Amino acid sequence: MSLLFEKTKEVLRTLLPVFIIVLLLCFTIVDVETDVLVRFIVGSIMLLLGLAVFLWGVDLSMNPIGEHMSLEVATSKTPIKIAILSFLLGFLITVAEPDLLILGSQVEEASGGTLGASIIVYMVSIGVGVMISLGVFRLLRDKPSFSMFMAITYGVIFILTPFVAEEFLAISFDASGATTGALTTPFVLAISLGLSKIKGGKNAEENSFGLVGVMSSGPILAVMLMSILSGQKNIQGEVVEYVIAEGVLRPIINKLPGVFIESVIALLPIIVLFFIFNFIKFKIPKDELLGIINGLILTLIGLTIFLTGVYSGFMDMGRIIGVELGKMSPWLLIGIGFILGLIVVLVEPAVHVLGEQIEEVTSGHIPISLIRGTLSIGVGIAIALSMVRIVVPAVKLWYFLIPGFLIAMILSFKSDPVFVGIAYDAGGVASGPMTATFVLAFAQGAATIIDTADVLVDGFGVIAMVAMAPVFSIMILGTVFRHKRIEYPTIEKKPVVSSHLVEEVNMDHVCIMAIVNRGLAEKVVDVARQSGAKGATIMRGRCTAEHQKVLLPIINIELQPEKEIIWFITGTHVSKPIANSLLNDPLLNQDGEIMVFISPTEAMVRSFTTINVTNDADQAT
Amino acid sequence: MTIDSLFFTIVNRGKANAVLHKAQECGAESGTILLGEGTVESKFWEKIGLAEIHKEILVVPASDELSDKLHDTISETFTFSKSNHGVAFTIPFKRWQLQASEKEEINNTSANANASHFCIVTIVDKGRSKDCIKSARAAGAKGGTLIHGRGAGIPTDFYYPLVIEPQKDIIIIITSREKVSAIKERIFSDLELGKAGNGIIFTLPISRASGLVEQRTEENKGGTA
Repeated sequence: MSLLFEKTKEVLRTLLPVFIIVLLLCFTIVDVETDVLVRFIVGSIMLLLGLAVFLWGVDLSMNPIGEHMSLEVATSKTPIKIAILSFLLGFLITVAEPDLLILGSQVEEASGGTLGASIIVYMVSIGVGVMISLGVFRLLRDKPSFSMFMAITYGVIFILTPFVAEEFLAISFDASGATTGALTTPFVLAISLGLSKIKGGKNAEENSFGLVGVMSSGPILAVMLMSILSGQKNIQGEVVEYVIAEGVLRPIINKLPGVFIESVIALLPIIVLFFIFNFIKFKIPKDELLGIINGLILTLIGLTIFLTGVYSGFMDMGRIIGVELGKMSPWLLIGIGFILGLIVVLVEPAVHVLGEQIEEVTSGHIPISLIRGTLSIGVGIAIALSMVRIVVPAVKLWYFLIPGFLIAMILSFKSDPVFVGIAYDAGGVASGPMTATFVLAFAQGAATIIDTADVLVDGFGVIAMVAMAPVFSIMILGTVFRHKRIEYPTIEKKPVVSSHLVEEVNMDHVCIMAIVNRGLAEKVVDVARQSGAKGATIMRGRCTAEHQKVLLPIINIELQPEKEIIWFITGTHVSKPIANSLLNDPLLNQDGEIMVFISPTEAMVRSFTTINVTNDADQAT
Repeated sequence: MTIDSLFFTIVNRGKANAVLHKAQECGAESGTILLGEGTVESKFWEKIGLAEIHKEILVVPASDELSDKLHDTISETFTFSKSNHGVAFTIPFKRWQLQASEKEEINNTSANANASHFCIVTIVDKGRSKDCIKSARAAGAKGGTLIHGRGAGIPTDFYYPLVIEPQKDIIIIITSREKVSAIKERIFSDLELGKAGNGIIFTLPISRASGLVEQRTEENKGGTA
């Protein structure tokens, strides 16, 4: 229950600015009907409750499912199984994404029926499947580096760009935004985290992110290829007349069943895949399964309430603000666009999930507020630039897209490795349901009122901008971060082959606790083993000490270095040699950072051994 | 400063930095923060599998005097006397120094004899923490704090030569002297820790604790009577 309370507080903090700014606009310069205003307020409350419940559910269901599925993928004995499994995962979650179907029918219309909606959905899903399975292979091999992998992917995209008409360029980038929906993103994040946890090693932290980024490049490639192959150059079609709904409760109630069905369909492939595997393979204990099922139910309920609130409360509001501001002055449009971008992105569900994952993976070393701030600024600028594009027709989409991605690509080789994954992920994470409804409606509203703008062409492309900007801004943050971060020597792990049972009868035990910089835990375990220690447990944390404070410039956020904490339980007779050898080891001691503590303990250890090889391997397969 | 003990604090997530700053005002030199999960004692939420709360564990190396001072100041500033505001306890972890090592004797009996409370640490494979807490509760414990960690790696024969890192759950349970052995035995037998590879359990003596549920209930009783 406290977890729900925590989530509600967190969502409230991010929703309040949006709520206040929109209300301010309504009471000052924008003239809004009472119905729409009341619906916005009701929608906000639904969003608050829905999102909190959704995030809670995701915590309970998506994370364990992702962990189990990724264990299944990683422990495959043949490459074919890895390829098929990860392709299936990518394909199934994308095919069921409601946003993608909407995009498909839009394209069908825009291309005058040459490209059918279902073909687009399947092509994009295949694109995602292929990219996910390539991404999984890369993660498991750890080669090529993630920056290189993404550079190659976007290199191919840039080579294709000149052959694609501008309209389709926008659609292809929008398609990537459409696939990274509210459900798929948390799921893929969980898979990525699960895989890197299993793989471990010195790049575990870096590998925890990036799969969403990989995934969102799939649709871009798929749509571009389709456009080239079908020879489609021009977008045609009529803009559907936008009708602002009347009444307060009616539109909400009308929306609800549709949204519910959409959510069920989106959730279904994950559930089906998981339960099939659970039936054949995992056989999760009943307690845990119950928690997952409850989590899934909460996810479904939360998502339905959230989306209904957004569709019925926020879309009309965004549209009206766009139209009204467009009438007044283009500068106002750009300014308000910036502010809306700044605050709306923080309400995106996936942004919350990503933030939590960053905290989990780095044990709080990377301040989430910093990531959120950078994300905000990026998206704010993206929306402002989109408004510029609507006001000034001469400014084209690719003026921003190509240089943005190009600079991000180059920076990725200079940036702190953890941030490269986070940055590419952030693109998919930022372009979620809030952007697709509220921000898009705002942009389209503005485009209808400005004569030089084309609703169809300028409408597409907003999501693409939102997906590009955070990649760019977080990559810059990562480059700054790298120069501020203390570099530790990381030790590549030597596989330890073990071992036989050792009977230890009735002896006094001692608990040794060592705190070292991240990356040195394996070395500590090695040294201690040589002096007679057996098992060890490693935890991660962050540490602050007066003499080694690191501050980021200007904003003065303190960076707390990451530490590893290792616990040994040993017999009293070997504890001294172990402690001494740890303190004597030149590598561990070179920066004087190792701390060793010893406490007496009463252990109930009848026999202890280093981990039983056959036992664990059986569990894993 | 000679470090005679480690001062542990368990608070809700996000508060550890504030506690650490306070501790540094009192004279602490450094502190390490771990992320953990707490348990909520509620039959209903537990039944539907939703009892979980995010915690942070702060570890501050301190001398004996400093640890006493920390207990007083921190439990007062962060009102540990109220429920769910946090727990603090001191474990006599000696900082090991090379020069002193010859003289130092690790004395099991005295520390264990003086302790009024004990910290029971159980390390099991990931996912078994719930069972552990369940059997600890059955033996009279209030709740526990969970930290995720990993064991040392082992190589396997999958397509990619992954070094699988076995994920471990570390469960910390704080309890009074009377209940220690009952809880320990119960967990040991319920989780079959006697079998190889199933996990280990050990206790650490606590020289001083503040903010425990037991202490609160005692105070409350005293207040009403």
